[in-house]
Amino acid sequence: MRPRSKNAGFSLAVVASIAMLLPVAAAGQTAPAVAKTTSERPYTPPKTAWGDPDLQGVWPGTAMNGVPLERPKYFGTRAVLNDQEYARRVAGHDETEEVDSQEFVTPITKCDPSKGGLGNTPETCANGVRIGPPRYWDEQGQPNRQASLIVDPPDGRTPALTAEAQQAQAERAAARKARPCAGTAAGCHDSWTDDSLWDRCITRGLIGSILPGGYDRGNQIIQGPGYVVIRNEMIHEARVVPLDGRPHLPPEVRSWMGDSRGHWEGNTLVVETTNFSGHIPVANVPTSDDLRVVERFTRVSPDTLEYQATISDPKTWTAPWTIAFPMKQDPKYQLYEYACHEGNYYMYNALTGARAEEKKAAEAAKKAVQ
Amino acid sequence: MIYQRSARIAFAVVLAAALPARGQTSRPGTLDGKPNLNGIWQSVGTADWDLEDHSAKAGPFWQYGAIGAIPPGKGVVEGGQIPYLPAALTTKMENASKWPQEDPEAKCYMPGVPRAAYLPYPFQIVQSASDILFVYEYATTNRLINMGKFQEAGADSWMGTSNGHWEGNTLVIDVTGLNGKAWLDRAGDYATSNLHVVERYTLLDADHMTYEATLEDPKVFTRPWKISMPLYRRIEKDAQLLDFKCVPFSEELLYGKYKKHTGD
Repeated sequence: MRPRSKNAGFSLAVVASIAMLLPVAAAGQTAPAVAKTTSERPYTPPKTAWGDPDLQGVWPGTAMNGVPLERPKYFGTRAVLNDQEYARRVAGHDETEEVDSQEFVTPITKCDPSKGGLGNTPETCANGVRIGPPRYWDEQGQPNRQASLIVDPPDGRTPALTAEAQQAQAERAAARKARPCAGTAAGCHDSWTDDSLWDRCITRGLIGSILPGGYDRGNQIIQGPGYVVIRNEMIHEARVVPLDGRPHLPPEVRSWMGDSRGHWEGNTLVVETTNFSGHIPVANVPTSDDLRVVERFTRVSPDTLEYQATISDPKTWTAPWTIAFPMKQDPKYQLYEYACHEGNYYMYNALTGARAEEKKAAEAAKKAVQ
Repeated sequence: MIYQRSARIAFAVVLAAALPARGQTSRPGTLDGKPNLNGIWQSVGTADWDLEDHSAKAGPFWQYGAIGAIPPGKGVVEGGQIPYLPAALTTKMENASKWPQEDPEAKCYMPGVPRAAYLPYPFQIVQSASDILFVYEYATTNRLINMGKFQEAGADSWMGTSNGHWEGNTLVIDVTGLNGKAWLDRAGDYATSNLHVVERYTLLDADHMTYEATLEDPKVFTRPWKISMPLYRRIEKDAQLLDFKCVPFSEELLYGKYKKHTGD
């Protein structure tokens, strides 16, 4: 628009200066909350074009790979490694890097039935093949002193299960053990429902998708006016979080990743998620439909995003618990399309393998009768 | 008089400027000087049934009665017909004869481009000053549009590699690196991994966009061809993408014959 008179030109100039003041006023409202968190002057993240703290970027969790979810018991309430423990972690990391740099099979990667685990069965070793991707496919973390991803309770371990959850766990274990397939090498694959949500490429769930790990752990934050998207490379999640204060979905609408609502507390993005469908494993325990997750994302420096998630599920655990770890911005990390379901050969192989085993067993039984 | 009128305009401009500053879901016409495409959008036609003109017909499952029938629709292909090479037309007919079981949509596979734009599910555009993300309700598919320096496709994928730029008021997205496994619709229309798509998103007004896509694949088509259709903003209060993780709905179709059958 072109000003048609001096007066119009003047008023537009006034408008412009008022408009410029508005974002400042909006930021000013949030300032006390920031000041409360620390006595030092906190890092102030840049702002988006519409005035929200800018958390955008690629924040893979890979740097924290190697930090266990739960702390070994002997640590007690000590949350950081001592020099000796840290030296061990560094040595392990260096050894892995050394192995990863080698193109051919080494004593560590060689098939060995005595080591047990996936690919180390006598049958596969007889073929000279270790099943699974080469070791160098895995992302290796940077050694650090954090003893566990769980920071609360103070012992860094998940709280006790409720009596209800303990009973359900015992019943599941007993039912599993009673099945004829339980003792076989291939395990139980009567149907796809015998496999985990992860193996079925449905989802790893909200927490499982964001935890550090060996592969496809890219996290990316993208913001638009009124929205934040938390994008996880793991099975291509993109959680769109509205920030406009709207209520959660009605309790009848439930889903694997839940229903997220966000708001700003100073420069911290707080995201509350409810309406989970239940059965999603968190720390290897199937959670209930009462699961509630509160996440906090705080950009504490240009390349560090502090992540915190408090998990509560009164039907499953006797107390809420919290994980926390820093995510490091890595502009070179590229999120690839993880078309997990589209390439799920595992599911075909597991099911057809189990049917082949059954056929073999049935034929052997027939022969034994004759 | 002039002053009064401009003061009124000035007040309106202040309001418009104030809304984005509060971080609310306002719909300013521009964002950082570019058209603001933020919002939840959906195609309303029958393009996913068949890109070409088609009459109503019965569906494959009589149990669904009229619910399972295929609705009629005017085509969205410029010039009416997709210019297939003769051999490719045969493949399309073969695909059609294997519908629905071989349609990647039935298998809950990612829809590819351009099909993602006209699936019967909403999608959300999240646009910041630096990035644009498309999130589709169907199968939680999502694709980042690179608005920076042009990037070659690093590997073929279902949704391809998207490079975007603005041409006036139009968001133009160049898509390569498609793996060619997605179909273009439920009628068996298809392309190969040689497909090159150029999409154009143009705001018509606050709640409508024109979607155009040009498809080029010399292995399948005699010439580049174009589709176009409107996209509608989902204007209901608190509209949001819901969770349509469809893997569990595809497993019986994909793996049913491999599960353990007892009592036989």
